[in-house]
Amino acid sequence: MEGNTNLQASTFGLLWWHLLCSSGIPTAFWVAHRFQSVNLISTPHRTLLVLWVIQCPFVILLSSFFRINPRDCSYLKAVGRGVLGLFAGALVFALGAISLGAPVGSTYMLGTINWSLLMSLLTVSPAAAIFGSSWVDWKRIFAHTRPAGSVDFMVCLPAHGSIVGAWFGAWPMPLDWERPWQEWPICVTYGALVGYLIGMVASLVLGFFSRRKPYIKAD
Amino acid sequence: MARKTRSKATKLQLVWPFFFILFIHCLAIFLFTRGFLLTRTELPHFSNCSDVSHSPCFDSSSIDSSTSPSSFSSSAPAQESNATCWTKPAVDRLVIIVFDALRFDFVAPSSFFPEKKPWMDKLKAIQKLAAEAGSSARIFKAIADPPTTSLQRLKGLTTGGLPTFIDVGNSFGAPAIVEDNFIHQLVENGKRVVMMGDDTWLQLFPHHFEKSFPYPSFNVKDLDTVDNGCIEHLIPSLHDGNWDVLIAHFLGVDHAGHIFGVNTMPMIQKLEQYNSIVEEVVEALTSQSEPGGLHENTLLVVMGDHGQTLNGDHGGGSPEEVETSIFAMSFKNATFSLPPELDSVSCGLNADAKPLCVGTVEQLDFAVTMSAMLGVPFPFGSIGRVNPQLYSLGAGDFLSQGIQVEGHENDSNIMRWMQPYVNALCVNAWQVKRYIDVYSASSVIGFPSEDLLHVAEMYSVAQENWMHVVKGSLSHMNESCPSSFSAIKKQIDMYAQFLDSVIGLARSKWTEFNLKLMVVGLSIIFLSLLVQVVAIKRVDTFYESSLSTRCPQASVGLVFSMFAVIIRASSFLSNSFILEEGKVALFFLGTSVIFELRNSFKKANMLLETASLLLLVTALRFIMESGLSKQATNLSSISSILGIARDHPFWIYLSSIVSMLALFSLAYLLLKYIRSNSCQRVQKYVISGSILCYALIASHWILDSELLNLSVTLQYIGRSHIPRVIYAVGIVQLVVLVINQLLIRKRTLYHQNDLASRTIAMLSAWSSAIILLSGKQGSVVALTTVGAAYCIFRLENLWQAATDGTSSNISFYSLPTTQWSLLAVVLFFCSGHWCAFDGLRYGAAFVGFDEFKLVRQAILLAIDTFGFSHLLPIFGLPLLVSQRHSINQKKETKLSLSAQLSQIYLIYGFIVTSSVACMVLCVTIQRRHLMVWGLFAPKYVFDVVGLILTDFLICLGALYYIDPVEDDSKQN
Repeated sequence: MEGNTNLQASTFGLLWWHLLCSSGIPTAFWVAHRFQSVNLISTPHRTLLVLWVIQCPFVILLSSFFRINPRDCSYLKAVGRGVLGLFAGALVFALGAISLGAPVGSTYMLGTINWSLLMSLLTVSPAAAIFGSSWVDWKRIFAHTRPAGSVDFMVCLPAHGSIVGAWFGAWPMPLDWERPWQEWPICVTYGALVGYLIGMVASLVLGFFSRRKPYIKAD
Repeated sequence: MARKTRSKATKLQLVWPFFFILFIHCLAIFLFTRGFLLTRTELPHFSNCSDVSHSPCFDSSSIDSSTSPSSFSSSAPAQESNATCWTKPAVDRLVIIVFDALRFDFVAPSSFFPEKKPWMDKLKAIQKLAAEAGSSARIFKAIADPPTTSLQRLKGLTTGGLPTFIDVGNSFGAPAIVEDNFIHQLVENGKRVVMMGDDTWLQLFPHHFEKSFPYPSFNVKDLDTVDNGCIEHLIPSLHDGNWDVLIAHFLGVDHAGHIFGVNTMPMIQKLEQYNSIVEEVVEALTSQSEPGGLHENTLLVVMGDHGQTLNGDHGGGSPEEVETSIFAMSFKNATFSLPPELDSVSCGLNADAKPLCVGTVEQLDFAVTMSAMLGVPFPFGSIGRVNPQLYSLGAGDFLSQGIQVEGHENDSNIMRWMQPYVNALCVNAWQVKRYIDVYSASSVIGFPSEDLLHVAEMYSVAQENWMHVVKGSLSHMNESCPSSFSAIKKQIDMYAQFLDSVIGLARSKWTEFNLKLMVVGLSIIFLSLLVQVVAIKRVDTFYESSLSTRCPQASVGLVFSMFAVIIRASSFLSNSFILEEGKVALFFLGTSVIFELRNSFKKANMLLETASLLLLVTALRFIMESGLSKQATNLSSISSILGIARDHPFWIYLSSIVSMLALFSLAYLLLKYIRSNSCQRVQKYVISGSILCYALIASHWILDSELLNLSVTLQYIGRSHIPRVIYAVGIVQLVVLVINQLLIRKRTLYHQNDLASRTIAMLSAWSSAIILLSGKQGSVVALTTVGAAYCIFRLENLWQAATDGTSSNISFYSLPTTQWSLLAVVLFFCSGHWCAFDGLRYGAAFVGFDEFKLVRQAILLAIDTFGFSHLLPIFGLPLLVSQRHSINQKKETKLSLSAQLSQIYLIYGFIVTSSVACMVLCVTIQRRHLMVWGLFAPKYVFDVVGLILTDFLICLGALYYIDPVEDDSKQN
């Protein structure tokens, strides 16, 4: 009824996707520290750049293997959709952040751009790579939050986790502790990453769980 | 007839809960405020030299024969009793050096404290003088009274009173002291006062100083400007003879504490600098202190106004903040020590292992003691007592003039000093009693009568004693018999007891929270939340009885709005979130819109409205940021990005054009509304009146602008006549609407359109005055509000379809009402206000009027402050009801509409109350917080006034909009 419900991935693929996508973030932090000698607090925009650039191949290339209609759609096309989704999503996130009160101005511009790209990479890109322009699936994941099947979980839970995490991550910002990490977009990024990782764990667990009972939501 | 009574009863049934809630809130807030916001009435009376003849201390015989106080000065002839005013001057000149935020342990030797810290023993010059100079120099621990902020402390130090958060008085915005004070008395009695340093003094005493060298105190990061300015003028002034009192206020330690904290290098450097300043000052004074010199009889006072915590904060009442220090030194040497009963000291060793004693004084006593030493009348409102230890430093004058008496040198010295002291205490007691009497007679909230009686009794006993015992002994004083000595001591004790009990009474009244009252008030507010929930549920039963049964169910919108309301309310626990309240409200509003966006994707419906609402929220955000920078133009923040100077004419033109355009679009929208909709004729007239007003506002702006060089008469017309016309038109519109509502009761056709047109007519009647008062930003804010409000009530129907129209009222209206209330909060900040008294736009009170009349200007200021955030949202709330798509049009009877109206008002009231209730809870918890007077208390005042106003407006709105339900009873 609603698009490709109950889309399942192999146990092996599921495990690899979660492991590699999760490992992208620590790798990026390590690279930023080791080769660029920057961290999120000292130079947030550079670190965010390193984060999304390193996470980008992991997410887009791996997610494209799980595209919903592998026969009609080539692997390269899925990758292209992912990249396109990355930039389109970044625009949406930047606008959303600004309407919620993210600071504007030249000092924050680079940070906002890179943060939106990272957020888009964690949320929109995998969906774009997997579902492409299938509006029904997008609606099912993001509007109804009704994931069915391990691939749906894989897209839905980390994305929602990072959005909710970023939302809560904004809360310490007004406090007068005068810590450097209270600056935009540092704590929002931390919140998003924590939410993303929690979403990852949840989607892995639920993904396995849903594989055991494959016909739980059969129409 | 019977039907008519029933219909009235129904309207009454729907409306009375609002009045009940208003009453409960008033009660709760009254009780809480009595406990929390300590108020004190400033009295307009001043002490005069001649007043003292009313006191029992100088009866006519004593003045004639000049037995006291000048009796012991053999060189003082009778005519000199004119020169001595209330007390005999003990010092001629006074140098007051104030070090802001001087902790007690900066001054006192480290041996007084369990552990030596890096910042101790830095003011070695003071310790050395106190240890070596014998009785003529001494360090005191000075106890300040909270609130320990510089302004309140300076006020307390000079008035000798206990400034509270709200000193009810004549000052409207300006902080200048209107009460009687030490500086005023100095000036009145011909003393020349010179001031240098912190410009707060000039705010408090704008016209008092002979000469002043003020430096700005705002920039906390600047450690040196004020201090260097002081140093530059201080030492040269000490060689001048053209002043009597010199005040130098240094700010460096305060600023160093705020920026770096106490245990830091900048602080220690500052203290070392101060040490050298003290050394220089003492050297300059000593060099001229020989007999006949400029500073022969000068008193040097080095003092702090309050302490600070280790983080450099102050404002509250913790020991670190209230304990500061006073060092006083007289340059006239006198070997003399106080009797031990009057001299409570703690002694220790200074850094050079010399014994050093430290006394204790209350800052409250400062004004009266200094007045007594300089011989000027005591400030009228002072409740301090002449401090014996501080007063004894000026004893040299009495001793040198005294007659040499045989016998024990010290005993006779003590006698000679005690005579003027007991005299001063007598005047002191009389003056305090006079103040207490006048205060309780004239202030709104006086003292408890039994306490007053007790105090009055102590006073009369003391004065009785004075009359009989001491006067008798005074006449024989030359014999210095031990009986008179003990009599005077007893007299001093009696006065001290009286003054102490008055101070205790005043402290309990003016500095201590009444926790019981606060808790009672708080619990009543929370109880009222419960009442509101019951009232909301109660309306549901009306509704169900008139329509088919509906089961209330928890919808997503209800859960979300409850979540938002609770989190927003609990965010008030932190002072940072109170500071950023507008942004937090906007964050929630934005979140709720994003939430709606998700929903409208789900429904594939009304995407345009949601997206434009999101855009409008973004626009509000930018308006808010520019509004908070307190600029008249709403585009100033962009100017910094584009790099064009802020006051460039380009921006003034652009902002004028944008506001004009917004105004014209508002007028166009109204015009379009009356063209297309079938509303009553009266309402059409009212709305056309508003359109006319908008045109008047536009011409007011044009005539008022400085860019066009218009003639003076035209400018005058534009500045004062046009606003008055607009106010008049607004009042006429309101009267017409109310009369129309009263006259035309029986309408055969009653539907939602009618409600909408009534609401819009009401809003348009208010809008012109509000836009006029809020200036050029107003029209832009108004236009954005109209857009956002339109989107909100369009979007409310998005949720209806979700439950196929069977959702209960509560779950249907919860989300739009929450959004509506968040929008109201955002609008408060967008229109350039914030929750502090400097956030009031005083300029708005004078739109159209030049002279000040309290009631008129207060009304205008209130309309400006609460117009966008309370008046318009509450009167506009019925739009939410009128725009609801009903499933079955025919079933929308009057009762159901009225029930929905009353329910939506109840929900709105509940949301506002819940955030105020949490605010009050937070204030109770944080009552000892550092920022309680700076932040929590102003926020509390704004919230509480807003809550009462909300309740009141809701009552009015309910009376106006809810119709008597007549035809409904026929149907049932």
